[in-house]
Amino acid sequence: MSTVTPSQPSAARTSFVPTGSGLSITGLLRSETIKLWSLRSTYWTLSLVVVVSLGIAVLMSFAMSASTAGFDPTTGAPIALESAQMFVLVSTTGLGLGQLIVAVLGVLSISGEYSSGMIKSTLTAVPNRLPALWAKVVVLFGFTFLVGLISVVGSFLAVLPILGAKDLTASLFDTEVILPLLGNALFLAIIAVFALGIGTILRSSAGGIATVLGITLLLPTVLAVLSIFIEWIADIMPYLFTVAGTTMITPNTMESWQGFLIVLVWVVVSLGVAALLLKRRDA
Amino acid sequence: MIQAQSLTKHYGRKTAVDAVDFTVQPGKVTGFLGPNGAGKSTTMRMIVGLDRPSAGSVIVNGKPYHEHKAPLREVGVLLDAKAVHTGRSAYNHLRAMAATHSIPTSRVHEVINLTGLESVARKRVGGFSLGMGQRLGIAAALLGDPATLILDEPVNGLDPEGVQWVRKLTKQLAAEGRTVLLSSHLMSEMALTADHIIVLGRGRVIADASVADIIASAAQNTVRVRTPHTAALATLLAQPDVTIINIEQGVIEISGLTVNEIGDRAAAAQISLHELTAVSASLEDAYMKLTQNEVEYRTGDASSHTEAEVTR
Repeated sequence: MSTVTPSQPSAARTSFVPTGSGLSITGLLRSETIKLWSLRSTYWTLSLVVVVSLGIAVLMSFAMSASTAGFDPTTGAPIALESAQMFVLVSTTGLGLGQLIVAVLGVLSISGEYSSGMIKSTLTAVPNRLPALWAKVVVLFGFTFLVGLISVVGSFLAVLPILGAKDLTASLFDTEVILPLLGNALFLAIIAVFALGIGTILRSSAGGIATVLGITLLLPTVLAVLSIFIEWIADIMPYLFTVAGTTMITPNTMESWQGFLIVLVWVVVSLGVAALLLKRRDA
Repeated sequence: MIQAQSLTKHYGRKTAVDAVDFTVQPGKVTGFLGPNGAGKSTTMRMIVGLDRPSAGSVIVNGKPYHEHKAPLREVGVLLDAKAVHTGRSAYNHLRAMAATHSIPTSRVHEVINLTGLESVARKRVGGFSLGMGQRLGIAAALLGDPATLILDEPVNGLDPEGVQWVRKLTKQLAAEGRTVLLSSHLMSEMALTADHIIVLGRGRVIADASVADIIASAAQNTVRVRTPHTAALATLLAQPDVTIINIEQGVIEISGLTVNEIGDRAAAAQISLHELTAVSASLEDAYMKLTQNEVEYRTGDASSHTEAEVTR
């Protein structure tokens, strides 16, 4: 049985109701993951972090022996290190360069969207804007932490036989080893998202990279020199991003937590200002 | 449906969009016309929340754009061809956009096929021609199968086949009951594609009517006459409401009189005519007439102070 109704001319049909899935947290995380890994620069920057870490670890381990021990990371004075400390030092030194690399990656992950115009696509898909930023933060943090962990654990495993031949041993799961290694990986991820915040604020690759490197590299050096002449500058030194970060990842320091909190404040400020500006500004 | 109310945008002291009111109806292709700097792109950007209105509001499908749970399914937008990271392939760009709304990969392949990008989908967008970039932008706009489409200069850089394809596509989408807002500087193309026209000039709506009404109200039909005796004919026909323009040696264009009137009078005065043709006005004529006082960046106008064009 059928009722025949005359078909309406197409122009008379005036409603088209959209159907299907909408925005979701998982969708945004997936989108940012696709974005991160569909750029060649991500592959070569993150591989470089691992390669540099492993390379420096292996080179250092050949140069080291039980008697030469190491040097104090802050004063540079040669000191005798425990076996565990030596393993940590060797496994994490290369990550210092990795920090610079992920700082650049962090800035580019958003400034690249501004310079190419991609940001318009991103923000029309996520008109409330902030969920897109948080998804970027989570994805960047996750992958840089993972890469940091691969670098330090990989370095540890690589130098194990080399140092082992020199009668030095350590266990990865010794808290004196694993905690500093995790701390280093964590700081690497923190630098990346800090840089992401700066990149969002400045919306420029060159400006963002210059600012991040200025804050992490230049500022501590300049202030260290100035502190020789101006006394109170020495008091603010511990609150600098890199100095606090070094405190945080230095093994067996009681102030590690303090360093972590100071670094966290820097990140919160960077991302907080970034979020505020992203929400307010015209794209 | 797109509804703008007193929509205003200032950039510093410059007013890009000045309290415009308009409604873009579903089921039709609406053409968005206006000279450079008239505020078309700014208006489109405000519709999808990229720019915040200085005053007034614009709602799309019943809500401000940012309040929709699935914005890409409500509105598909092509703002300009460069809303893509140049280091990413077309396929990955679309996949990343689709992922935000959990749109399946099958739909990504669908829009790639629909826009004819199969052969370049895996290539990086940086190497795309303008036309391929436009196709990718249209593919992205169609991803969510949206109820409303906003396309800023979609045929810019397309080959003739692509221009025709966009024309058919937009007409078909409108026929399905969707809202289609389309801007273009190609008047002949707009005359073929659009059902309704909104003309902006210096941030204001200066016309909002059907294509036929726009042409009828703004442009006059003229008559082209070829004769060796142009001066004599001009003298013969001269009267206050008749305009006579010299087109070239021996050809004049007359408005205000019909073909019959001109032919009869010329015959009575024994002036020989070699051609007598009614020239119907085009959308372009109507557009030129409407916007003649609204063009902000007129060619060769030395008196006007130059201002940087707002293309943000």
